[in-house]
Amino acid sequence: MSPIYKIITASSLLAILAGCSATTTIDEYRPSGDPIELNADERVVVLGRRDAGHYETDREFIDCVAKQMKGADIGILPEAQFIDSIYPWFEPRTAPKGLPRLKKLMRDPSIKTVVDNQSVRYLVWLDGSTETLDKGGSISCAIGPGGGGCFGFAQWNKLSVYEAIVWDLQDLQEMGRLRVDSEGTSYLIGAVAPIPLLTPVKSDACSSLGKQLKTFFTAS
Amino acid sequence: MLSKIMSYKTSYKNISKLPLALFVLIILGGCSSSASVQVDRTFPKVLGEPKPVTASIVFAEDFSTFVAQPNENTVIDIGTAQVQVLQNAFAGLFNDVEFVTSRDQITNTKGLVITPSVREVQVSTPSDNYLNVFEVWIKYNLAIENADGVAIDSWFMPAYGKTPDAFMYSKTKAIEEAAVIALRDAGAKLMLDFYRIPAIYGWMMEQQILEESQ
Repeated sequence: MSPIYKIITASSLLAILAGCSATTTIDEYRPSGDPIELNADERVVVLGRRDAGHYETDREFIDCVAKQMKGADIGILPEAQFIDSIYPWFEPRTAPKGLPRLKKLMRDPSIKTVVDNQSVRYLVWLDGSTETLDKGGSISCAIGPGGGGCFGFAQWNKLSVYEAIVWDLQDLQEMGRLRVDSEGTSYLIGAVAPIPLLTPVKSDACSSLGKQLKTFFTAS
Repeated sequence: MLSKIMSYKTSYKNISKLPLALFVLIILGGCSSSASVQVDRTFPKVLGEPKPVTASIVFAEDFSTFVAQPNENTVIDIGTAQVQVLQNAFAGLFNDVEFVTSRDQITNTKGLVITPSVREVQVSTPSDNYLNVFEVWIKYNLAIENADGVAIDSWFMPAYGKTPDAFMYSKTKAIEEAAVIALRDAGAKLMLDFYRIPAIYGWMMEQQILEESQ
């Protein structure tokens, strides 16, 4: 192969792979620019909102964000452990949607005791989903006695939109909120073997949100 | 000798086909649209302050062994799980509670007698609702009487659970998850709304229980 063909092939591959990166935007609001200081014995719990009708904030995403935050020496209490310990007050039907309801719940001594015993200081609510927006192209695969293969081209767009709200369970106030929008296109090329070029939209949203949430807290 | 070698070759060929056949069977099994679900989980105890009410809960055999068949392709065994959930919830509602399997086993001479039953179980899958969620509805009925057998109320209690459709998540597993969430919702609904039933509120006023608990 002549050098000119090699350059053309390499640049086409690079162009295709560059197309597989997600575009992520983060909006942040917090009343104060200073990070929230966490004592060594204080913990954060990341919870998913599950009261929407047509989607559900999936556990995989919540675990992913919690892992990202755990990496920054922030004490994280697993979601299931917190929800079970306080059952049934954080189920989809009963979970507080706003601060007035949270204040009412925390006035109950049995709930307050469980929260304090687990040293949970901050609660991060995650709400959102990843959806496939539009699909295009077509790919078909066939198999016969002489062999088989896939031919064609398909593409699809994915959009992840998640919002995180941080509540302080001691002072019963909102400490800030974040919103992440991540969008990208994935491709499937059928050239005998199917070649997937996937854009990690959801994992990009998770790592961006996790990294940004880390900046909310500092471990002392 | 030659025939022996030939037979070895044939059996070797058959053995090499076996994994392929199994692989195809597993793939076809994964495409099966039927689901037989056994809900086998441990449910948490409820966090609540029980009121000074005496109650007897009758879990009849058809309730504790209940197997729902919401459609011809789906079977959900929720009997044991629903007994556990409701036992935990009733223990969080009443400070003196007994669980029996029939009315003649009741030892309490006062308070409430509650007999739960399942009216209906419904299931919805992504192919039905065009959403990426599996949904389960369990519709309960609580027959509430006083210790003398006088009816106080018949309370309809719906519970709902859903779980997202995930890649490589089997239909059975997804329906089980949704059923677990629906059962947890039943416990939550009971804890949240039981003392809001007007007939229960009236009965408690009659028994002067509200004054005692305040």
